[in-house]
Amino acid sequence: MAMIKWEKDFSTAVKLAEKTRKPIFLDFWFDG
Amino acid sequence: MDTGPYSDEKVQTYLEKEFVPVKSQCFWDKRTDLMKQFNIAWTPTLLVHDSIGNEHHRVVGFVPVEDFLAHLKLGKGKMFFNRFRFAEAIEEFTAVSEQHPTAGATPEAIFFLGVAKYWKSHDPKGLRWGYDTLAARFPQSEWARRAQPYQQIPL
Repeated sequence: MAMIKWEKDFSTAVKLAEKTRKPIFLDFWFDG
Repeated sequence: MDTGPYSDEKVQTYLEKEFVPVKSQCFWDKRTDLMKQFNIAWTPTLLVHDSIGNEHHRVVGFVPVEDFLAHLKLGKGKMFFNRFRFAEAIEEFTAVSEQHPTAGATPEAIFFLGVAKYWKSHDPKGLRWGYDTLAARFPQSEWARRAQPYQQIPL
């Protein structure tokens, strides 16, 4: 099973996406 | 612990392989900078961005596994489409149509597949293919109505 390695910081995700040339998937969630 | 569609192995594998996944917690009493930046007014809100941060697809509300995978592929396809990378867009839209034939995102994927076929070949038969396919498979969908003008294109 491939656990998802979630980024929490968007700017870090953009840098990683530029490096890997992958698109970014953002999930805005609410714990309520 | 991943819950909802994220507990599905297909979703986990696809997200890890094809995307940089980001989770951002929302607070309604004190909206975060990211909520303001992306105009988040309800959750869950799911976005697909390209690697330089431009948004290409948005989904608001819970989606089960098959719909979720279809939205991811549609979002990726729209990212390629918006950058005029039509061969790659066609691959993604075709994957939605063939691998997720009953998903909510599929009529939109077929509409864009027809347009991408047209752009790639400059043959208007791609548009007519889009209309014919939508009329046959999803005649009640808004996407079939959006494709109606292409009904006039001769085969």
